Amino acid sequence: MSLTPAHPPVSAATPRKEDVPRLRILVVAGEGGSAGGVMQNLRQWADDGQLEVDAAPDLPRAVRQLAGRRWDVVVAVLGEHPDDDLSWWVDSLRATPGGPRLIAAVQAPSMGLVLRAEKSGVLDLLSLPLRREELVRALDRLRSATGEAAIPLPAVEAHAVGPYALVGQSAAMLEVYKLLARVAGSPATVLVQGESGTGKEVVARTIHVNGPHAAGAFVAVNCAAIPENLLESELFGHEKGAFTGAITRKIGRFEQAGSGTLFLDEIADMSLALQAKILRAVQEREIERVGGSETIPIDVRLIAATNRDLKEAIKQGRFREDLYYRLAVVTIRLPTLAERGDDLFLLTAHFVGQFARRYGKQIEAISDRALELLRNHAWVGNVRELRNVIERAVIVATDRTIRAEQLPEELRGEEPALGDRPRGGLLTLAEAEARHIARVLSHTNGQIGAAAEILGIHRNTLTRKMKEYGL
Amino acid sequence: MTEPHLPPIRVEKALALLPELEALTPLRALLVSISRPDERKLWASSGPYLTLGKRGVDLDELRRRMPQAFHRIAEHIQELFKAYADALDSQQRGDAPGVVAALLRAGHLEEEGGRLTQARAWYEVALHVAEQLQDRRPEVEALRALGYVRLALGEYAEGARHFQRSLALAEGEFDQAGATAASEGLGEAALAQGQWAGTHAWYSRGLRLADAAQDAPRAGRLERQLGVLARKQHDLAAAGDYLRRARERFESAGPPDEMARVLNEQGRLDAQLGRYDAASAAYREALAWVQRAPRDAGLELSIRVNLAALDLEAGRLLEAEAELRRAEEVAIAANLIRHLAQIYTLMGRLRGAQGDETGFVFFEQAIELAKALERSVATEAQVYFAYGQFHSKLGQQEEARAYLERARELFDSLGEAVERDRADAELRRSSA
Repeated sequence: MSLTPAHPPVSAATPRKEDVPRLRILVVAGEGGSAGGVMQNLRQWADDGQLEVDAAPDLPRAVRQLAGRRWDVVVAVLGEHPDDDLSWWVDSLRATPGGPRLIAAVQAPSMGLVLRAEKSGVLDLLSLPLRREELVRALDRLRSATGEAAIPLPAVEAHAVGPYALVGQSAAMLEVYKLLARVAGSPATVLVQGESGTGKEVVARTIHVNGPHAAGAFVAVNCAAIPENLLESELFGHEKGAFTGAITRKIGRFEQAGSGTLFLDEIADMSLALQAKILRAVQEREIERVGGSETIPIDVRLIAATNRDLKEAIKQGRFREDLYYRLAVVTIRLPTLAERGDDLFLLTAHFVGQFARRYGKQIEAISDRALELLRNHAWVGNVRELRNVIERAVIVATDRTIRAEQLPEELRGEEPALGDRPRGGLLTLAEAEARHIARVLSHTNGQIGAAAEILGIHRNTLTRKMKEYGL
Repeated sequence: MTEPHLPPIRVEKALALLPELEALTPLRALLVSISRPDERKLWASSGPYLTLGKRGVDLDELRRRMPQAFHRIAEHIQELFKAYADALDSQQRGDAPGVVAALLRAGHLEEEGGRLTQARAWYEVALHVAEQLQDRRPEVEALRALGYVRLALGEYAEGARHFQRSLALAEGEFDQAGATAASEGLGEAALAQGQWAGTHAWYSRGLRLADAAQDAPRAGRLERQLGVLARKQHDLAAAGDYLRRARERFESAGPPDEMARVLNEQGRLDAQLGRYDAASAAYREALAWVQRAPRDAGLELSIRVNLAALDLEAGRLLEAEAELRRAEEVAIAANLIRHLAQIYTLMGRLRGAQGDETGFVFFEQAIELAKALERSVATEAQVYFAYGQFHSKLGQQEEARAYLERARELFDSLGEAVERDRADAELRRSSA
């Protein structure tokens, strides 16, 4: 197999405008409330014939109505617990056929609620009583979305390795290909470094199928996924009765790999004690099963991978230096998706093709807006995250084009939708501060201590501000 | 300048430092409920295998939440003490039914907190007082409470005995509501023991009594239970009829949680009939009803787990995984460990369906939870059973048989005849 990339050039996009359909709106009352007022308003405003409005008395009945036919928008009046109500609505609409967009209406929304609505991909959060111009603006945004232009997706030739593939023609990936071509033919131990989701296992498989151990098995072990107390027996195997729970003899992954390749992923998560055993196996080329006395020779090629800085881990005493030098005979560093430029488009095309075949769909294009959302996203999870997003989009796609509405709420929430306030999109200082705090909290997964550290303020100050902004 | 922030500590490591003391149960619960997945791991290749043990606990947050936990504990103890003081007050005034009512209230408080053995102790004292009275209604009530807590503890025969006595007394007193409730309890005891004929007889009797008393909510509940029974007996048409009638009874003015339960059961019936879209719609509507009911994380989890199992069966693996992760969050926040073991078992099954050997980590975590936190042999047996099937699917027949044998032993020790037979059948399949 050649490791030289051969991708077709990205063809110039020819946007195709589509008809703007009438919007079908379901209005739903809040807990113990009535949708009457909102309904009346909408009916008056629907005089131009562009809206078709119906009502449901509550969430359960709305769910029933939504399952029955296709709706474009749900206008939900949130009750006394707007945060909870919003979560339930987002959850309920997630799996609704046709993916109707949510406009939530509430009395005096807090800043926290606005931010949560943004993050959840809500089309708009409006104050009660509804004002015509605000609703019209939200619906216009949806209408403009239905007029998305389709960009044809190119056919991408991937370097397939079983179900895996290397795709990309960015300069960063060309360097990786060159290094792969040099290292694959030798039996050298390789250390693959890169952030989560950059394709470390794909690279390991590529090295395996192009190397001298290709006739043997490729066995992958995720060191971080397996509980520490089980990892040793998973790697080296155990004899029956070696410990409680060893109900049969087990052949470990080193033995399973035979004369093939053993891929140790997330190796930095291994304990120092186990690192010593791996070092011994690599040096002596032999292992012992847990609870066994027999020495078993091994002939595997070892490839290790990590998303951590191993040199830093060595400094902190969390990783053995001697093992590092044994593993890093050759080091391959994988670029992040952000460093790969328009590989994102090629990867998108590749994954669309792959999943369209899997789910029996015919998809040939992506809308300009959807592609823009993909390009603007931060991709913390790199290619793995992109693959995940595309798989979901393909599953819910209804025609030959992947559209913005088929992307996850988090991506759609990154559009400046709710920020488009009457002041022409400009935020007050408090709004900007609240948004930034919310973003940092999201980054730290809600951990206040870590967020305070990033923001450079004391945690008590952060707690006070969170309370103030209703975060 | 801020203090350096230490990374969160893993739950498995935090729990290892916590001795198994009853007094520390609320701290254990707090620890679990505030744990979060390590964000750096979410997109790592180990991300899909994250379980409770590998989540992190932020020490700052633990410290910050402690006062709330103390407050809840103090509030609970205060309520318990108050119930006891009320019992004493009634005693002094010679109001024995008041004593029973106050003791039962204390038992209910314990039961709500999931402390079943403590609840049983309160109910037993209440029963002892009630047995001395001329008026038998307090005794009927105490027996009923005791019957249900025994069922929840898996003591089915004892539970049935209490319901029998409750029924006899209620009939003697012409207490129709008491007799209906006792019949329902007897039906549940029989259902738990796989005695289908007995279950049908008791539920039907309860339904007749409820209809005569025009007790629509109880009649609706009994129709649903009859639907559950019919589905278990593979009489799917009858199950559909019962559930339709239950739904009609609750539709107009029934409590939302009952409507959610009927729809949850309707989903299971549709799933059994292979009507995946209808089942999915029923579960989703059930979830919407849960939103309108007083918070019941157990009911929400039951629906989410059923929805995930449906997606798994229909081969919608992405949806199944997403739903299981949502269920995991609900279970952790509400500290419902039994459900968590069930969720991880399903996650393991999902990995098995993908031929992914590393899926074994979910079964290992589920076994650990069943043993260490929930201490439920029944849950442990269910996990071993699914673990055996997982190995069987991966062609590891020796391991499969070992785990199925273990499940069979545990089911046998519990007297779960239906489950034991299921394990036997799977063992025969695995040996074939």
